[in-house]
Amino acid sequence: MGSIEGILSGFQVALSLEGILFVLIGVLVGTFIGMLPGLGPISAIAVMIPITFGMDPAPALVMMAGVYYGAIFGGSTSSILLNAPGVSGTVATAFDGYPMAQQGKAGKALAIAAISSFVGGTVSVILLMLFAPMLSSVAISFDPPAYFALMFLGLTAITSLSEGSTIKALISAVIGFMVVTIGIDPQTGTQRFTFGNVNLLEGLDFLVIALGLFALAEVCTLIINRKDLYFENKRKIGSLKITKDEFKEMRGPMTRQSFLGFLLGVLPGAGATIASFIGYITEKRISKNPEEFGRGSIKGLAAPETANNAATSGAFVPLLSLGIPGSGTTAVMLGAFLVLNVQPGPLLMTDRPEIFWGIIASMYIGNVFLLILNLPLIPYISKILKIPRPLLISLVIMFSIIGVYAISFNTFDLYMLLLFGVVGFLMRLFSFPAPPFILAFILGGMMEQAFRQSLTISNGNYMIFVESPIAISLLIVGFLSFLFPIVGHYRRKRKGIQ
Amino acid sequence: MKKCLAIISVAMLIVILTACSSDDAPSNNASGDWEPEKAIEMVAPAGAGGGWDTTARMATKVFNEAGIIEEDIGVVNKPGGGGAVGWAYVAGFDGSNHNLFVASPPIILVPLNGQSEYGYDDFTPLANVIADYGAFAVRADAPWDSLNDLFEDMKEDPESIAVVGTSSPGSMDHIQFVQIAKAAGVDVTKIKYVTDPDGVGLTQLLNGSVEVFSTGVAETVEQVKAGTIKVLGITAEERLTGETLKDFPTAIEQGIDASFVNWRGFFGPPNMDEAAIAYYEKKFKELSDSEEFGAIRDQYGWDEMYMDSAEYKAFLDEQYETIGALLDELGLGQ
Repeated sequence: MGSIEGILSGFQVALSLEGILFVLIGVLVGTFIGMLPGLGPISAIAVMIPITFGMDPAPALVMMAGVYYGAIFGGSTSSILLNAPGVSGTVATAFDGYPMAQQGKAGKALAIAAISSFVGGTVSVILLMLFAPMLSSVAISFDPPAYFALMFLGLTAITSLSEGSTIKALISAVIGFMVVTIGIDPQTGTQRFTFGNVNLLEGLDFLVIALGLFALAEVCTLIINRKDLYFENKRKIGSLKITKDEFKEMRGPMTRQSFLGFLLGVLPGAGATIASFIGYITEKRISKNPEEFGRGSIKGLAAPETANNAATSGAFVPLLSLGIPGSGTTAVMLGAFLVLNVQPGPLLMTDRPEIFWGIIASMYIGNVFLLILNLPLIPYISKILKIPRPLLISLVIMFSIIGVYAISFNTFDLYMLLLFGVVGFLMRLFSFPAPPFILAFILGGMMEQAFRQSLTISNGNYMIFVESPIAISLLIVGFLSFLFPIVGHYRRKRKGIQ
Repeated sequence: MKKCLAIISVAMLIVILTACSSDDAPSNNASGDWEPEKAIEMVAPAGAGGGWDTTARMATKVFNEAGIIEEDIGVVNKPGGGGAVGWAYVAGFDGSNHNLFVASPPIILVPLNGQSEYGYDDFTPLANVIADYGAFAVRADAPWDSLNDLFEDMKEDPESIAVVGTSSPGSMDHIQFVQIAKAAGVDVTKIKYVTDPDGVGLTQLLNGSVEVFSTGVAETVEQVKAGTIKVLGITAEERLTGETLKDFPTAIEQGIDASFVNWRGFFGPPNMDEAAIAYYEKKFKELSDSEEFGAIRDQYGWDEMYMDSAEYKAFLDEQYETIGALLDELGLGQ
């Protein structure tokens, strides 16, 4: 069989001295850039593209792939320690990771994140190796109605992401929806809510919203509460050790989310972010103690971390086997391929097997490297928390500003960052939850586009959403998952009365 | 008024240029002597990895490696608004001789769609360097074997055929299709066009959501080789060269008298010095003629299309007229 030879030639590339060296460089750069709040895989890859000029394509791409999943791997750090997600895929990580770190268990939180990332990354690479050639048909199986239904399913998380008032959660989500419509509407080319400002034409970047609503709002809260927390300055990092019981708790989410995350990653456009949110809510739904989620639950941390890393490998399926970039990051990756004169697509596997399989094979090694690199570093990295609070706050602000400025070197984005910092702080003051806002912002754009594409294709006939089997099944699951918490709430209430 | 100015400036330019070339004595006039005094900044008004970015990086690479320009040239990415952010940025360097940017049809289309206050006529066209073309692809098992088959069906039942592109209506993927379809007699106001901004237009073609994919020629090659899609027509005037590419029929050879060039060239800020324009024209000509850049053209499947500043300006004016009329017909002009 040709593909076994191909796999072997891939390992030959990955296990050569050059291969190992470049994987190591890639994951090192990726994980460090990913760790910085505000900088994610896009910046990491963009930084590396000029360096690969004139390099041999196989090692260069092995390195670039390492940068990519390394950045996702490292991205959890700033979410957990500082509540400053630098990648949309690690927003859900902050939901339980940050509370856990606040409880003095930062070491454990980072260890759980590293291990679940490793498991998600490795299981998905095995899946990638076994099924990559067949999965390209899965990657194209989603038509616009199916995408709409998938985004809808993701949005049902709003009801379960909200502690307290469902109304406030919905209001928060609606604002998120409104904010994502800013910019040029792709379906008509019309400007929406740009007020004639050229800087708003492209809409607002995810980072502006995430760092504003999470990092800066957190900073404001810390400043306001400085007196209460002042003496708690020497925060504990805690042990890295994960007990047997804790590991048992992680096992379920890690297994399930490795598969689910990978599958969602295979769909172009869905990717790590949606995988991490869907991973988080499915685990919350099937958990016996869903009330622990959001308060430092081990499952709530393991699930999104496994899912986002698994999805990252999944994203290589459409990229390598179809030449279709499924996200902003993979689009930059595609650019990196083209610069090196490698055209990803259906022929890559047969024409350049050493590159196709070399990248996949190198991901095993890359994931092992990441685990070895990250675990011993945890005690040092979490020392960040011991930095005196005034200094730490300034650092978070500085990194948020650098991250946002690096998007397009435009000071306008910085004003927007400040604005959303204030918005986030006000939302906290009046206990409007931020996660529904960011979820609506992430999913809303694609959901709207998919909805309108569907209707253009069907000439305005809504039946298109029920005629597609994938769409209708996802919509049903979505409705059930939307109603489930409400019904559950109602039933609990009744029990309480009796 | 603007047009009047443009014509005058073109005329002046021609006078100066002919003056230069007819002057036998070597460089005894000031206008031919300009040399960059510091590092040159080259703006790609888009993010890393896209078409503009690649063109800018490849050009600077050859400039420096082949020793055509001694000074350093740094590529700066200014993404946003389909180019509008980058153009606003360059417009701020009025009169500078050390700021360049890479441009292509969006600098005509985006302002016509009312999405940028700066258009091509606000800047100094220096030289066009390459040409790229659009392709219209359908699934390999689709019932159409030529553009005419497709357009006949579109005339009969426009609702049954959807066209997908990466950019919004009124921009390149849409306009290149409309321009060819119009020449074939299709009612262009009835074309069903879907935008897939996430770059998954190909997915939609392959899974049968849409019927036609309007894109760049290079984007289709791998899929055609793999036998999943077929290209019904390309927007070039003549057949392209190169493996697979040479098999793509042009619209013209199918009896549809229309073409669309995705030209790519370089501009400077408003009011660049004539001497600097002459300098860059010469350097871009050297770039275009160099072996190194020829290899890059082959790698990316680009065609050579050199125009000096005056030719470029005239070409842009003509493009502006044609496309403006087309957008008005579609009801998209502003």
